[in-house]
Amino acid sequence: MKSSTKSSNVVGKRFPLVDALKKTTGEGVYTDDIKLPGMLVGKILRASMSHARVKKVDVSKALELPGVHAVITGDEPGAQNKFGVLPISKDEISLPKPGAPGRDGKVLYAGDCVAAIAADNEEIALQALQLIDVDYEPLEPILRVEKGIEPTDEPIQERTQDGTNIQKSVEQHHGDVDAALSSADHVATGDFEFVGVNHGFTEPIVAIAHYDADDRLTVWSAQQVPHYLHRALTEVMEMAMHRIRVIRPMVGGGFGGKSDPFPHEMIASLLSRKCRRPVKILFDREEVFLNNHGRHPTRTHLSVATDAHGKLTALDLDATIDGGAWGSFGVVTTYYNGVLSMGPYHIPNFRYAGRRVYTNKAPCGAMRGHGAVNTRYAFEVLMDQLAEEHKTNPCEFRLANLLPANTETVNGFRITSNGTKECIERARKRSDWDSKHGKLPFGEGIGIACGFYISGSAHRIHFNELPHSTVHLKIDMDGGITVHSMAAEIGQGSDTMLAQCVAEPLGIGLDRIRIFSGDSDTAPIDLGSYSSRVTFMAGNAAAEAARKIRQKLVDAAARKTGCPAQGFVLQEERVIYSPDPSVSLTFDEMLQEALAKNGALIAKGTYQSPPPIGKRDAFKGWRAGLSPTYSFQAYIAQVSVDPETFETRVKKVWAAHDCGRALNPLAVEGQIEGCVHMGLGQVLCEEMPYLKGALQGPNFLDYRTLTPMQMPEVDVIIVESHDPEGPYGAKEAGEGPLLPILPAVANAVYDAVGVRMTSLPITPDKLWKAAQRQGVAPGLGSPAEIHV
Amino acid sequence: MILPQFKYHQPATLKDALAVAQSCDGDFDFIAGGTDVLPNYKNRLNNRNNVISLSGVHELQDVSADRIGGMATLVQLENSAVLKSALPVLPAAAHLVATPLLRESATVGGNILLDNRCWFFNQSPLWRESKGFCMKADGDVCLVVPQKEICYATYSGDLAPVFMVLDATLHLAGPESDRDLPVAGFFAHDGITRNVKLPEEILTHIAIPKSAQALRAAYRKLRIRDSMDYPVMGAAVALSFADNTIETLRIAITGMETTPLLYDEVMQPFVGEQVSMDLIETISGAVQEEVNAYRNVHFSPQYRKAMVGVYLKRILTELTTPKNSNN
Repeated sequence: MKSSTKSSNVVGKRFPLVDALKKTTGEGVYTDDIKLPGMLVGKILRASMSHARVKKVDVSKALELPGVHAVITGDEPGAQNKFGVLPISKDEISLPKPGAPGRDGKVLYAGDCVAAIAADNEEIALQALQLIDVDYEPLEPILRVEKGIEPTDEPIQERTQDGTNIQKSVEQHHGDVDAALSSADHVATGDFEFVGVNHGFTEPIVAIAHYDADDRLTVWSAQQVPHYLHRALTEVMEMAMHRIRVIRPMVGGGFGGKSDPFPHEMIASLLSRKCRRPVKILFDREEVFLNNHGRHPTRTHLSVATDAHGKLTALDLDATIDGGAWGSFGVVTTYYNGVLSMGPYHIPNFRYAGRRVYTNKAPCGAMRGHGAVNTRYAFEVLMDQLAEEHKTNPCEFRLANLLPANTETVNGFRITSNGTKECIERARKRSDWDSKHGKLPFGEGIGIACGFYISGSAHRIHFNELPHSTVHLKIDMDGGITVHSMAAEIGQGSDTMLAQCVAEPLGIGLDRIRIFSGDSDTAPIDLGSYSSRVTFMAGNAAAEAARKIRQKLVDAAARKTGCPAQGFVLQEERVIYSPDPSVSLTFDEMLQEALAKNGALIAKGTYQSPPPIGKRDAFKGWRAGLSPTYSFQAYIAQVSVDPETFETRVKKVWAAHDCGRALNPLAVEGQIEGCVHMGLGQVLCEEMPYLKGALQGPNFLDYRTLTPMQMPEVDVIIVESHDPEGPYGAKEAGEGPLLPILPAVANAVYDAVGVRMTSLPITPDKLWKAAQRQGVAPGLGSPAEIHV
Repeated sequence: MILPQFKYHQPATLKDALAVAQSCDGDFDFIAGGTDVLPNYKNRLNNRNNVISLSGVHELQDVSADRIGGMATLVQLENSAVLKSALPVLPAAAHLVATPLLRESATVGGNILLDNRCWFFNQSPLWRESKGFCMKADGDVCLVVPQKEICYATYSGDLAPVFMVLDATLHLAGPESDRDLPVAGFFAHDGITRNVKLPEEILTHIAIPKSAQALRAAYRKLRIRDSMDYPVMGAAVALSFADNTIETLRIAITGMETTPLLYDEVMQPFVGEQVSMDLIETISGAVQEEVNAYRNVHFSPQYRKAMVGVYLKRILTELTTPKNSNN
């Protein structure tokens, strides 16, 4: 489909991101580039124990060290105030209180914060950390979810279920799954195991806090969601929200790993208030891994049923999710592991039981494709198996089971635009699927998988009636348009998206737009960069504000030319009266007329998801997964598996993604390629194994993200379904495109060597072992001689 | 992570370097490219108060077909026209080490003298404290195979096995005297001791016999990624044959045990044998049988052991296929 029948100004055109040159030349200012007069270095003392009561913390020697300005423990006022990204599960504190009973006096994982120091420089701060004496009383650590679901006398957190370490349980049942299973023609069942993975963003976590002479607190932080940080700071510091200012400098990647309010942001603020100096806390990579908030390790058990015609009749799903020590987004994760499997297929009967379990490990949280990735893998692998059992081409099998456009799922998701069919058909054709699948020699294979993701969460995590996004515009006689927003540019291109949405109705170039999207003092609230919401929500708000400015400008053009306002078209920096194109003004002439006796033009746009959507109050958790629209994908991957080493090479990926409309195809391609890279990491080599409670390789040598040398060619296929409610028809492109790559590779591996991998990553040693068990590993020597 | 404090010395001659070391009362490390020593220092692994850089000792940087300076960088090796024609296995092996950026500073001597690696050792102080310190740094017990006699940290250099199969000789300069050692006799069986070099000795160069140029040789390494990663198994082979009969055959394996190992005794029966697929499988299987691996780097020991056979079979096949020249 061509992008649009209506000619557009900047929408649908390829633009490098507006901040690309600043980033690539080094001019861009990230948090660590900021140096304030008198700024101190903050360092956190971290626990070496996985679970322990902190009996006593002696900081006296550290305080005596010259160059140390402040040392804080859990005794510091505010350090014990609870916070957390979800208002329903605040279970984090900045520092444990020595001697306190219960959760408040404990460290919950090896790497948890114990005390903190502000000093003149890093050397002194590190030296001072060594001078802090901590007296621990070790407690039994809970390191595995199997242990965590059992009753215990010493739950890790205060609020758990029935004396166990289960944080949250979800049960949903739509239709009659048991009946569907018992009458099914085929039932595919699988047990899947997923280890944790980390976002691997480039810029380490960093924050600066300055509690200033006016008793105002300013926090600069590499954040995806400055607004939630703002809220958390208010509660921890016990300060009015208007006394706190949150600034988001340039961010070097987030992927969900910078979307919680974190202890170090609170600790820097507490240290700054204590010594009245700005304090910067910059993590090293190990600390980033210890802070984690990456994808949850998960055990997924599921059954998928079909009737004799190969139509899906039921999905029965069970997930046990390893949350680590804190709640984070965990309640949402627990729901998402179930409900985000409700597309792109029509599933008349659905049952889900999920539970998130606290363990004494680094907390898990949101990561690109939040909650959906592991379940999607398991589901799509079983879809492949069912297609085989039905002796049907996996593409046909999927096509026969798709949800249509403009429908509702059994759990109440409102589906509007849906380009899945086109995704499958185009990827199938481009990849020459029909002449490859099942026909390639041993070791070569091709696989397909689909995806489905939200495009912004329709319901807010804080229950209120504020818009999800608000954007302010200002245009004055200089002719530049100032955009104020708190939609967080984290590298995904949200500033560029805002600029395009504003420029489009005004018929001007992006050079006139300047985006101010990082300062809570000047920008209206936006819920930030998570849940793939920014283009849909902030984009709509920006477009609405721009249309208001456009109306004011067109009214001025009408005044000046004497022609009626309805007939004007704004394009290429001009306003043209279309019934008589000889009547036209430059954009600046129109603008000066609009400003005369009036002053700067200002406008506001907002976005709220359309109420009501979903089955309001029909069942517990009805809000979870509701989105104003959804993105859809179909990916095909071709792999080569070495028949002796079982090393998997992904040779090419055909990635078809329905983003509604590509506002900026270049940026959409970048997101899709980035998603493929990140997803390939999880499916091929990234993993966070624990050795007795300690993360085995908390660094980028041992935590292996894919290098460019293993990155396959990605044939990006942009499918445009023109969402009726999206800004200029657009919906998300940042997370959904990650989902299908993992199962597409696994299904291709199956096509290559006949082994279905039920645990990730598919490293050569695991595939070799699985192949040997199945008797398909020729290798050298007899498999029986090798003790596996 | 920041470096600890130390006194930095940068002598300009070998003689001065040896003299500076003598003045440090045993409390020093020589440093070449720094790509191994400095990350370990940042992790506070056996830091010394004096660091003697050899980067100013230009006499150790030369590369020729029969002599490679200890301070030659890996990128020098990789790009050397002389080696590409005389001993192409060396530039090819150097190309497989680490990343292009690291190879700019990493040196041949540094790679040979690479400290052994282990996931209980190459960790931060916090990590090691949380697991208990191991005998290689700050502790007295091995955490891989719990006992106090032997450190099982794995030797992970890429070049040593190649020099072994080329029958190269290491030249060590000491304050009193110099000595030459065959590479095969240089490494000692322990993850801490690692080799027989005295702390005050400097590896000045590696001498390669002229006869090596007549061999066909290749090196391949097992790792997850095509770049960056250390070998978790690396296999080097050098051989010559005439009339389809094996004349010379050397195989060395790295990334498996505490030292790289040359399997000369295992090769004895195969010299004089006719090259055949059966022979190749027998040779590969014989080495695989001899090799041990421990669970202290990534990939299971069983898999790594099995890959010894697979890799050797492939290298041997390639090297004995007449149309292919030296890798």
